[in-house]
Amino acid sequence: MFYNYFKTAFRNLLRNKGYAAINIVGLAVGIAACLLIFLVIQFETSFDNFHKKKNEIYRIGTELPGADGMNYTAGCALPVGPQLRLDFPQVKEVASIFNQGGQITIDNNGSQKKFNADNFFYAEPEFFSIFDFGWLSGNPQTCLKDPNSAAITQEVAEKYFGDWRSAIGKTFKYENKTPYKICGILKNIPANSDFPLGIVVSYSAINSTYLKDNLKDWVSTFGDAYTFVVLPPEISQIKFNEQLKAFSKKHKPAEYAKEASYAQPLTEIHFDNRFGNFSGHTFGHSLIEALALIGVFLIVIASVNFINLATAQAVNRSKEVGIRKVLGSNRLQLALQFLGETFLITFAAIIFAVGIAIIVLPLVNQLLEIKMSINFIANPVVTLFLVTTLVLVTFLSGIYPAIILSGFNPITALKSKITSKMVGGLSLRRVLVVLQFVIAQILIIGMLIVVSQMNYFRTASLGFDKAAILNVGLPGDSVSHTKINYVRDALLKNPDIKNVSFSFTSPSSESNWNSDFKFDHSAKTTDFSANLKWADENYFKTYNLQFVAGRAFYPSDTSREFVVNETLIKKLGIRDPKDAIGKQINFWNGAKVANIVGVIRDFNTYSLRKPIGAVVLSSAKDFYQTINIKIKPGAEKATLPFIEKVWNDAFPDYVYEYRFLDDTIAGFYKQENQLSLLYKVFAGLAIFISCLGLYGLVSFMAVQRTKEVGIRKVLGASVQNIVYLFSKEFTLLIIIAFAIAAPIAYYIMHKWLLDYTYRIDLGASTFLLAIAGSIIISWITVGHRAIKAAIANPVKSLRTE
Amino acid sequence: MIKITELEKIYRTEEVETIALNKLSIEVKDGEFVAVMGPSGCGKSTLLNILGLLDDPDKGSFIFNQIEVADFNERRRADLRKHNIGFVFQSFNLIDELTVFENVELPLIYTGVKSADRKKRVEEVLDKVQIMHRRNHYPQQLSGGQQQRVAVARAVVNKPKLILADEPTGNLDSHNGNDVMQLLTELNEQGTTIVMVTHSEHDAGYSHRIIRMLDGQTVTENILV
Ligand SMILES: Nc1ncnc2c1ncn2[C@@H]1O[C@H](COP(=O)(O)OP(=O)(O)O)[C@@H](O)[C@H]1O
Ligand SMILES: [Mg+2]
Repeated sequence: MFYNYFKTAFRNLLRNKGYAAINIVGLAVGIAACLLIFLVIQFETSFDNFHKKKNEIYRIGTELPGADGMNYTAGCALPVGPQLRLDFPQVKEVASIFNQGGQITIDNNGSQKKFNADNFFYAEPEFFSIFDFGWLSGNPQTCLKDPNSAAITQEVAEKYFGDWRSAIGKTFKYENKTPYKICGILKNIPANSDFPLGIVVSYSAINSTYLKDNLKDWVSTFGDAYTFVVLPPEISQIKFNEQLKAFSKKHKPAEYAKEASYAQPLTEIHFDNRFGNFSGHTFGHSLIEALALIGVFLIVIASVNFINLATAQAVNRSKEVGIRKVLGSNRLQLALQFLGETFLITFAAIIFAVGIAIIVLPLVNQLLEIKMSINFIANPVVTLFLVTTLVLVTFLSGIYPAIILSGFNPITALKSKITSKMVGGLSLRRVLVVLQFVIAQILIIGMLIVVSQMNYFRTASLGFDKAAILNVGLPGDSVSHTKINYVRDALLKNPDIKNVSFSFTSPSSESNWNSDFKFDHSAKTTDFSANLKWADENYFKTYNLQFVAGRAFYPSDTSREFVVNETLIKKLGIRDPKDAIGKQINFWNGAKVANIVGVIRDFNTYSLRKPIGAVVLSSAKDFYQTINIKIKPGAEKATLPFIEKVWNDAFPDYVYEYRFLDDTIAGFYKQENQLSLLYKVFAGLAIFISCLGLYGLVSFMAVQRTKEVGIRKVLGASVQNIVYLFSKEFTLLIIIAFAIAAPIAYYIMHKWLLDYTYRIDLGASTFLLAIAGSIIISWITVGHRAIKAAIANPVKSLRTE
Repeated sequence: MIKITELEKIYRTEEVETIALNKLSIEVKDGEFVAVMGPSGCGKSTLLNILGLLDDPDKGSFIFNQIEVADFNERRRADLRKHNIGFVFQSFNLIDELTVFENVELPLIYTGVKSADRKKRVEEVLDKVQIMHRRNHYPQQLSGGQQQRVAVARAVVNKPKLILADEPTGNLDSHNGNDVMQLLTELNEQGTTIVMVTHSEHDAGYSHRIIRMLDGQTVTENILV
């Protein structure tokens, strides 16, 4: 019996190759997109789920109350970890880990190899009893006790020493200074971990670095210094956080008591983008929801095609239904037969979808900078997903046509009196086409808005000149700092280099140093923090920063004068910038005190997501770590080798690294850029699948109405008349769909834009573009088939009746 | 075999109400060959559809094989139909996607006959209607006469007690028509009851009895044998 069903089903597909192809292609594309989305979500939700204690591990971050609400940082002050051990004996496990970038030098029989390593960590041995990172050799308890010993991953060992076995016992130097001996080899860190460990050294080594004072400092929090605890089941997160508030109050100086420690579950670290993590890659829950929704949308659109084409075709199949009923088939058997056909099509589509996914997966990995495995087929969860999709899509798209087809009255069916009107599908088909275009247009409008916001990011004025600026690292040690003048003079010898400035960071940067201060001899510190931009006097010219009052500070190695921005004086309630000149700013109770000599126009200090904050600029040679080089536009590439040579001559012990400021700023919007590309693809797929369905429907209508078209032509209708006949209904449906899609898209995208302080206006143009685009694309789709029908010879079509 | 009494069938559309069968009473005995004649629209097809359990009457009694079936639901009618009744239509009604063999096999599949048995029985009937050599062809590749022979083969493959034929020769030339009538006569001689609607007095001549209808009622009955 089933064999017979499949046989008819299969032959039916072969007979109606066009419709089968439309269905299979549409479904395959939809399912492939959905499968990839599933894989991405599966990958992103699997982060650090391989640790046995994953549900009891918490990270101790810090709440930072600010003028614009509560801010959070993933790190904490360094004494927090050790003190937790003392104050909370009921918390059995506590471990601190601190990520630092730096240079690694390997002495291999006299020849030195230098590497820049950003995967360098200080870690307590306890870290490895809380987390399940495997060791190939050595063990954390003994290896990470000694301050001058280190463990490295197999991958790093192979990079530095060729073979990981031969790496044991070898030494390397960190920052050209501290020697470490390798006593352990870590297994490579899985791709789905937010702990990109490479080199792990004893936490006690911090005692011999410039950070040693911070080990007792309760005020400074380091964004990359994490402390983890394992909470016993009887202590809830809420309860523990209350205790942490009291804990912070007890240990922090009174004015910082509000910066309480805050425990956050490990299971949230990958998703909560208020905090961040070592991998620098979070994936918000809302993003997961948005992607899942898009996946469902695409499958629905493809299923709608199926329903539409199946019901449209139903008329052709009414005879078969009639005969089968006459021969004794009951309704259930027939319904099963039609479901069987749907199953077959869906099954074929899934096979194609898996093929597409395999081909596209590397591109998705590249785009999202993740490492999903191509072996996903072997994963039982994926198999389950595919089987579920198969069943769901089969029912979603097959059940309605099956009910309709199997319900035909055999007598009417055999008389070929079933018309498309009786299939009951006409109004349903209209509703479904509207549904498809609602979805497609929501995606299109969303995509257009994301893309224009991205364009805005690229082109918006940041308040400083960012073109043709190269940022090169400056080694942090004092010997290197003595070469600042030499490097400047050497660089400026090249006529293509316009300006050179030394500073802490560039004007817009991901690393920012914020602090509050006392203004104009006030006893109280300000209720806001200023962004500290340590820079020499050439900074203003290099970046073309504009003064609204006063002047730049005079050359100095220390902070003798301050320049502030307009926002800072506004926050202090000063109307006229001139009134700020001569006023005193006092950082850290007298550690840095000087007067304001200039006020500059505001510029953006970070991504356009954030509003401009208060900024203080001053010279402070000790803090410089960036060389800002303004090159003559057009000469950037040609000047690079010269700059590298000057740098290497000056700092032979260090690794040269450079980055164009344009690229740095573009990097702020990496996730938005990735998303905007994804949305472009999804919106494209949605419109593609919808139009595929439209094409099928119109082809079908064209066949159905051959006779009508013939008669109309005999009566004098022109080709345009006929094309209009075919397209007017769809045009109307798309306009109805737009009327539904536009408010929904407006609501969603308005909310999305609220995340950005600097954003585009939601004008009518985006919406007009979406509707115009949809109509034009559908006209092209419909028009092709309609014209073919319209230019057919009417005599021929009438004779066949 | 069949006894209908005071059977009524009324078609209602928005504008008109058509009384297709008006208190019709007919009896058909086991082994009879009955022809039904009458002008177009007098209710012949309606009668055949009801006899074939494809449609249900609005009023009256329909006893099939000693069982009252007028109030059977669709499922029970389908069950009774597939075991007892074969159909032959004017327009053949073969499934275009299936071969000759598969078309004839279909009723056996619905009655759950094993595949090996099916092959034997389909080949038997195809042989009988002399279409064996075309068993793997599709309907469109056959002439009208050949298609109707396949349809007859399909109607009898299940060895039904009753064959209902609605103008079986209507789309055929006289030569092919006679072939089909010959086939039906043979089946009747082997014991199958046949009710056939026809416009042709010549074809009606093959039957035992002619029922003449007008406006949903019988007017006369001619007994030929
Ligand atoms: N499905 C239907 N809906 C409405 N009227 C119908 C339907 N089927 C048949 N009729 C009407 O019932 C009458 C009998 O039809 P039918 O049995 O097909 O006649 P015959 O087969 O004798 O030509 C006709 O008047 C016809 O128009
Ligand atoms: Mg008739």
